[in-house]
Amino acid sequence: MSHGHSNPLQHPEVQMASRSSYLAGFVIASLLMLAATILVSGQVLAPFALLLTIMGCAGLAAIAQMYFLLHIDISEHNIWNTVALVMFIPLFVITIGLTWWMFSQLYMRTMPMIPGMPGMH
Amino acid sequence: MLVNLPGPWSPFLGRLALSEIPYTNPILAPLFVVIVLAGIALVAGITYYGKWGYLWKEWFTTVDHKKLGIMYIILGLIMLFRGFIDGLMMRTQQTLAVGSGHNGMPVMGAIHGYLAPFHFGQIYSAHGLIMILLAATPLLVGLMNIIVPLQIGARDMAYPYLNALGLWITAAAVFLIMISLFVGDFSHNGWFGYAPIFELAYSPGVGVDYWIWTLELVALGTTLGSINFLATVVKMRAPGVTWTRLPVFTWTAVSANIIALTSFPCLQVALALVGADRYLGTHFFTAGFGGNLMLYTNLFWLWGHPEVYFVILPAFGMISEVIPTFSEKPIFGYITMVLASFAIAGVSWIVWLHHFFTMGMGPYVSTEFSVATMLVGIPTGVKVFNWTFTMYRGRLTFSSAMIWSIGALFLLLIGGLTGMMLSIPAINYMVHNSVFVVAHFHMMLLCIVYAVFSAIIFWFPKVFGFKLNEAWGKIMFWLFSAGTFLVFFPMFMLGFMGETRRLDWPFNLQWAPWFDVQEVGIAVYVLSVLAFLWLIYVSIRDRAENRVGADAWGTSRSLEWITDSPVPFYNFAMVPHVNHRDEAAWRRENGFSDKRPEKFVDIHMPNNTPVAIIIGALTFVVGFGLTWRIWWLTVLALVVTVLVMIYRSGKGDPGYIISAEEMAKMDRESRQKMDDGHAHLPKGGGYTGGTVTAYSAGAGDSGSSGTPPGNSRPLS
Amino acid sequence: MSSAHDKPVNPDQVVLWSDDYEGHDVISTRTFGFWMYILSDGMLFATLFAAYGVLSYSHSYYTGPTPAQFVAPWYTFIQTMALFLSVLAYGFSMASMKTGSKAGVINGMIASMVLGGVFLGLNIHDVLRMISMGITPEVSGGLSAFYALTQVHAAHIFVGLIWMLVMLYQILKKGFTEDVVGRLISLRMFWQFQAVMWVFIYVFVYLWGYMS
Repeated sequence: MSHGHSNPLQHPEVQMASRSSYLAGFVIASLLMLAATILVSGQVLAPFALLLTIMGCAGLAAIAQMYFLLHIDISEHNIWNTVALVMFIPLFVITIGLTWWMFSQLYMRTMPMIPGMPGMH
Repeated sequence: MLVNLPGPWSPFLGRLALSEIPYTNPILAPLFVVIVLAGIALVAGITYYGKWGYLWKEWFTTVDHKKLGIMYIILGLIMLFRGFIDGLMMRTQQTLAVGSGHNGMPVMGAIHGYLAPFHFGQIYSAHGLIMILLAATPLLVGLMNIIVPLQIGARDMAYPYLNALGLWITAAAVFLIMISLFVGDFSHNGWFGYAPIFELAYSPGVGVDYWIWTLELVALGTTLGSINFLATVVKMRAPGVTWTRLPVFTWTAVSANIIALTSFPCLQVALALVGADRYLGTHFFTAGFGGNLMLYTNLFWLWGHPEVYFVILPAFGMISEVIPTFSEKPIFGYITMVLASFAIAGVSWIVWLHHFFTMGMGPYVSTEFSVATMLVGIPTGVKVFNWTFTMYRGRLTFSSAMIWSIGALFLLLIGGLTGMMLSIPAINYMVHNSVFVVAHFHMMLLCIVYAVFSAIIFWFPKVFGFKLNEAWGKIMFWLFSAGTFLVFFPMFMLGFMGETRRLDWPFNLQWAPWFDVQEVGIAVYVLSVLAFLWLIYVSIRDRAENRVGADAWGTSRSLEWITDSPVPFYNFAMVPHVNHRDEAAWRRENGFSDKRPEKFVDIHMPNNTPVAIIIGALTFVVGFGLTWRIWWLTVLALVVTVLVMIYRSGKGDPGYIISAEEMAKMDRESRQKMDDGHAHLPKGGGYTGGTVTAYSAGAGDSGSSGTPPGNSRPLS
Repeated sequence: MSSAHDKPVNPDQVVLWSDDYEGHDVISTRTFGFWMYILSDGMLFATLFAAYGVLSYSHSYYTGPTPAQFVAPWYTFIQTMALFLSVLAYGFSMASMKTGSKAGVINGMIASMVLGGVFLGLNIHDVLRMISMGITPEVSGGLSAFYALTQVHAAHIFVGLIWMLVMLYQILKKGFTEDVVGRLISLRMFWQFQAVMWVFIYVFVYLWGYMS
């Protein structure tokens, strides 16, 4: 099997690196994390709204990093990486979501909360 | 950080001491002597015939996917035998122990039967773990390893070295569980483990540690293998092999390996957390201190259920290759077959709770998982109907491979229907943890075993160049089926009669007749094992009469049948250009079967490497060191592993080039050897003694085809 | 199904062997396989998150401290920035590789290693601080899950740093061969993925733990 590219530095996956795109990913993710930290340390929102906001920040930061850093897009050289990721994301959601649902139902029936205890939920 | 152990520990040997070797056990001690003697005989034999160099050069350091596949299958068959012996011991114990009185053998220290409860617990734990992860998985991975690259026209897997690494890490797991027979104990709380019994406070011995590290090693090996398969199919298909031309077996391999890739990390985490509880004193699964026992069960089955489909999907693929070949028709409903495989793989991820419906999480959760479980029946039903329609109006040949596949369909039906019963929570609450469940999943796993035997008979001539004996394949089938019937149908009955699983002492005397029937069944199974050994012996003895050409069955369909039998190490002298989904059938029908490539090019092949087997050995040492808490050994082996990996990474593998002229010469020789081998047999090498045009017009009238097998060549 | 068989096949025009097949693309095959490994690593984190979700109820902390009592958001934010900057430096290093600039690649990688080291140092300092306060994984199931998630991530960072050290040596020794370039791209994905995972750990373990 001969090798398709004589000079590895000319390989498309080397050439797709881009300073501006990496910088954009860095700036967006950093700002979102900064916003989340300020909101949480200041406790400026009601707990549930705060939770939704920081979840949004995390989601957006992850998407920005996936797109700008990890080159997850539908171009010819990245399509298979994108397909693999798209297959995995529902499984991440299932693993965490169904487990959480199952046990929240279980706790509701078996673990009555002791009043006055410090807790998260 | 490290927990205080309940027993002695020394810095040099950890928990290891002479007293950990069970030399007083009347079963294990003689077994140990037999194994040592057999080992000495084997080593002496290899030395006498001077085969060490051959073994090292051709097998231990190989990166050839076919040889690695053969070693996987040998490993799987050995462990299948070990697991079978465990099953035999369990059946015998229950037969002897049944009843209310003291009927135990004092010499064995047993009150009931011949096994003490602790010993019995180790046997059923080892049986389950071995059968699923060290027998079924290596057998399937081995078959995929051999066939998938051939079906897509690749010269090897995408990462040949990683492939070898996967094998040797699996072998390390096998060695770890085998050594637990003679050094220390094995886990006694079931193959999937129960929290919190596996916590150090309740299982202070090393059994659970053996169990953790064996599972971790297999999980690692299988994950590496799954990456390899997926990359191979995505990146290495020969020109013309479009996605709609992939054979069904390759499709099922893809869906199965997606499952493996995504689910094995869950197992690794679940067991690593058990390890953290036992070694570091954390509280993930403890009964107090904020731990949660059911979290373990949840994480385990999060892997466990997808794993079940990881083992069944390749088996479906094998059936899908065997049935069309011996029906002389293309597979019915190819697209639905592929979609059904992926539907099963997808649904496998949302059903795991049905393993613990009785946890008590209420009706909403149960309903979701119950409905999802029932959904599995739809794609499975599609597959069963597709196989049936493939056979419908086909020209059926009941060769031994075919009857094993048909047998698999019957077991799938029984296992599937009882599975539908179990998916209903109301029924599940009644039969939970009874042997009804055990009988159900044995039907499913035996369906896999049937498919594996079918596939071994089917692809054996491709790999070794000669067929297995037909008559003995059929005798083995009927003995095996009689055993299956006699062991597992009484088990369904016993489940309804209320027998729970894992009873070392079944106290109810009314169960006794069924246990006796099961014991007879086990005896028939023993005969089928002997028939298998005889089958291998007879086939090797008569190999000269059973040599085959490229198209071993004369009615074969997919791409692997156009290259020589046995497959040369380079797979294809020239990478084929694929024109049709059933390329071999297409070439045969258009008269291209005898066409050889005329032009050759230089090819690039990977070098053999000893690094894989060295890392495999080191992972065994890591597992052993962790089990016995020999910290210096563990750390040393880990560091050496990393250094070896860095060394290998620095060295790289430039591979080597086979020039076009050399390739042309090798191709001529391979062809000559194959032709000479079966020159005295009817041309085509199959039953039908000629080129079969399966479904073009007038095929049925053609004089050269369709000769019934009995007329062209006597069996055996 | 049988349509291909109905058409007559012209034996002179049919192509049976691929004479000009170039073989697979070695670098792409390597990086695709590595990406699949990374995703299975993501599954490993997802399972740990699932465990953390189950073990972060009030009763999971038994009578011991909850994250609200020991998490310092701004301290961890500095960790976040160290990791993000390290990833950025590695990205710049890869951008230098486009032109084959050895010095650019090596400088970027050293910067990335230093920043990764800062992240790891801050993490170790944090763990030591907590242990000195008696907040250890043995205290409760909730703390076990907290430590598992954060320290598994730290272990990944440690592995990445060793890998960078090896790659520095290989670049100096061998230059940009096909193998080295493939490994550098794999390492880029590995390192960037740790930043993605850190986003979730930072928000869902540290920040959420702090606010509840």
